[in-house]
Amino acid sequence: MAAIVLPPPRVGVVKFASCDGCQLTLLDLENELLEVAERFEIVEFPEATSRRSAGPFDVLFVEGSVSTQEQLEELRALRNRTRLLVAIGACATAGGIQALRNYLDQPRVAAAVYPEPAWAASLPTATPLSDHVKVDLELRGCPIDRGQLLELLTALRVGRRPQLPDESVCGACKRRGVACVLVSRDLPCLGPVTAAGCGAICPAFGRACYGCFGPLPGANVAALSRQFVERGMPADDAGRAFALFTSWAQPTRTTAAGSVPVTTHPDRGQEVA
Amino acid sequence: MTADTRFLPRESLGRLVAALKAGGRTVLGPVVADGALGLGQIDTPADLAAGVVVATAPGRVRLEAASGQRTFAHRAGPSWKSALFPPRVDRLVARRDGEDRSGVSIEPLAPAVAPVALLGLRACDQAAIAVQDRVLAEGPVTDADYVARRAAALLVVVECTAAGSTCFCGSTGTGPAAGPGADVVLTELEDGFVVRPASPAGREIVDALGLEPADDQLVDRARTAVEDVRRVTSGQLPAGDFAARLVASPEHPRWAAVAERCLSCTSCTLVCPTCFCTGAVQKTDLDGRVSVVEREWQSCFGGDYARVAGWNVRSGTRERYRQWLTHKFGTWPEQFGTTGCVGCGRCIAWCPVGIDVREVLAGIAGAPAGEAPVAPAATALAAAPARWQPGPAGVTSAWESFSRAEVVERRSETGDTTTLTLAVDDEALWATRPGQFVMVGQPGFPAPPISVSRIHEGRLALTIRAAGAATTALTRLPVGAEVGLRGPLGRPWPVDDAAGHDVVIVGGGIGVAPLRPVIDAIRRDRGRFGDVRVALGARTPADRLFGDEVDRLGRETDFDVRQTVDRGDATWNGEVGLVVRLLAPDERITPDAVAFLCGPERMIPPAAAALQRMGLAREHIWVSLERTMQCGVGLCGHCQLGSLFVCRDGPVFSLAELGDRLEHEGL
Repeated sequence: MAAIVLPPPRVGVVKFASCDGCQLTLLDLENELLEVAERFEIVEFPEATSRRSAGPFDVLFVEGSVSTQEQLEELRALRNRTRLLVAIGACATAGGIQALRNYLDQPRVAAAVYPEPAWAASLPTATPLSDHVKVDLELRGCPIDRGQLLELLTALRVGRRPQLPDESVCGACKRRGVACVLVSRDLPCLGPVTAAGCGAICPAFGRACYGCFGPLPGANVAALSRQFVERGMPADDAGRAFALFTSWAQPTRTTAAGSVPVTTHPDRGQEVA
Repeated sequence: MTADTRFLPRESLGRLVAALKAGGRTVLGPVVADGALGLGQIDTPADLAAGVVVATAPGRVRLEAASGQRTFAHRAGPSWKSALFPPRVDRLVARRDGEDRSGVSIEPLAPAVAPVALLGLRACDQAAIAVQDRVLAEGPVTDADYVARRAAALLVVVECTAAGSTCFCGSTGTGPAAGPGADVVLTELEDGFVVRPASPAGREIVDALGLEPADDQLVDRARTAVEDVRRVTSGQLPAGDFAARLVASPEHPRWAAVAERCLSCTSCTLVCPTCFCTGAVQKTDLDGRVSVVEREWQSCFGGDYARVAGWNVRSGTRERYRQWLTHKFGTWPEQFGTTGCVGCGRCIAWCPVGIDVREVLAGIAGAPAGEAPVAPAATALAAAPARWQPGPAGVTSAWESFSRAEVVERRSETGDTTTLTLAVDDEALWATRPGQFVMVGQPGFPAPPISVSRIHEGRLALTIRAAGAATTALTRLPVGAEVGLRGPLGRPWPVDDAAGHDVVIVGGGIGVAPLRPVIDAIRRDRGRFGDVRVALGARTPADRLFGDEVDRLGRETDFDVRQTVDRGDATWNGEVGLVVRLLAPDERITPDAVAFLCGPERMIPPAAAALQRMGLAREHIWVSLERTMQCGVGLCGHCQLGSLFVCRDGPVFSLAELGDRLEHEGL
């Protein structure tokens, strides 16, 4: 049998409304970066190289949520030039922290933040890519996990489905031997309803998980929220615990809605998120 | 207690630690880490978490100062499971060999094991190790890593003289007194420990301490303190045969009520000292040349745990919680001859929402009024013998034991299904019987279970539907490529039992593949069997598996071959509709006929009902089931169906054996 040598896949890395942290995870692969660069032809990655390409792409990593009309149009155009579209990070997969504005009256928020709100032409919502185009794979997290990214790259090379666990953060805590911060310290940990993948970083450092990997499909968010209240948390706070980086993902959305804080901006005296 | 019983003053505990360390053992024991009780290395008694109590309640664990200076005052200990059954352990390495990478080698990795002493196990923890021994080390197929770690471990048990609110070992008969299997047993009193050697290795340790015998008064005080704990922890589970009531209550409304609270977070299963479910994780290099297969703790609450191609056997929390609790308390004894619960209460204390199994059991399987309690010994270890089947030929250890096979012929059967004929050197595989399966390994992919579709000396045919990434990769293998095979596995079709009877063979879709060896066997020995009816279904004419061969079977033999498709087309002038249409009562098939049935799960109940209408007994209707399998030998847990492991006890079952298990969604 003759070995079939295929050209390396053409890879792009682009972003919409986001902080660039997830793209940096690719550069953060360090030990594996040269190997990755030999096996994938990175043709578009403005964060890392001035070499540009408009596609087509075998694999396109897309960071960020869709926050403006231009982004929406560009996403649709990119989708048409891409075989495998991978959404990376909480913004691309769930809307991100900026999706908190989805709960509020957008013109009022804009007026509170910008001196000239008319210059900030944005959509009323910040939404995940999958609301608009077909997404083939998702890497969750804020930022994504380098181990999961490497697993995805490996899976693409080997031709297998990436091994991304369909279980909660609790599994990672228990395998690491981390004492549950919810049970032993009453911290409002979102781990029990949050998708695994980070390796339980926050609980391992004595912090409650704040759900940056987003809720598991069908997660019993209401029961965990009730549990926070039973442990003495004010009901508003219990809801707000879910109003963070992935609040717009179902099924967190319902619990977070109504709990997004509306406060008075010290300078302008207007209500903002 | 015996004359062996000695007294170890607390200030001399260092002598015990030193004696345990002698011989190069690492001593593990309870330590305070990050404000909680954890498992750590003990070099001197000062490392031990002395003078602290772990206060537990449902969903609550707190470390508090103990009154007094007892070394083992904790009441609820750390989780010991990882000591002998690590959360992650590398088990084998799969490599692609040769210039063109078509060669495959799959080799076990030797367990990296060092001698260890577990100091401060409680009776419940030790009972849990005995349960894991039963599951992982005493069956026909063992887990080599666990066996090696267990053999290198010395168990030092501290009997409890105080109980936490979540403790119920007295109710399960697994504590607080140490059971058989300990090496050294300690009971802590104010000034020190009553020490008793419980094994030859333990005697060596205790003898080396040079201790005075414990006087009768101390021994009595120790015994009384332990007995007090037994009383407190007893009577917390429903009276009578609650296990049977639990198994008989799959539709109890309480399951849905628990699911309202349960987060499906997996915590209960991972802190449970007897839960043994694992999965295989592939750690692969970027070129797919080398893949280390890791055995990882998994949980029946995980989303993918029971997923098979096309459906998820247990998709909801209600089904997952029911599976866990019913297995732990209801079906475990039948599988392993021992209780699955040791009454440690960890699942209660570490549940983020504080679900208490004692309450749930009382709600679902509480004793009818007037039923007398049974002694806990009836559910304790060393009860009934387990159901174990004889071990598969050539497979003695889980995960490993792959032998090399080469693709010598490939044939495209349908749009998504390919038959690979493999040359096999391993003679154990030549003995594959109709209905058995093999795990098929390739570097970088999980090894799927594939049933054998034709058996020759030296050659096996595997008919594979490209349902997922691993099976798709298999269907693309060229002639000359190699794979690893582990097997033969599972219980075969009872073809010999059908001799002298009429035979009905019912297949749908890919389910026709494991039936072909039955047809082959009957044809080879045609005179031994009565009339044969073959009823096969497929989605479309183009999806008919072995279509030409089946057509020839109808023309060239006296088999009554009937076929149907869900959707016909221009090429098809046969039956259209479900397989069950082909199973109308027929005077040629006598009621003592034997049926072999394999197809999509939704096909099975109606087809089985039709066969019963033809007069066939449930004992004569044999069904082959599909479930997720990672090990294929009854150790990974994924394929459980009530008290049955589909991989080991099946995949072939009679309808009578299955009982009503297929009638409840999510079992």
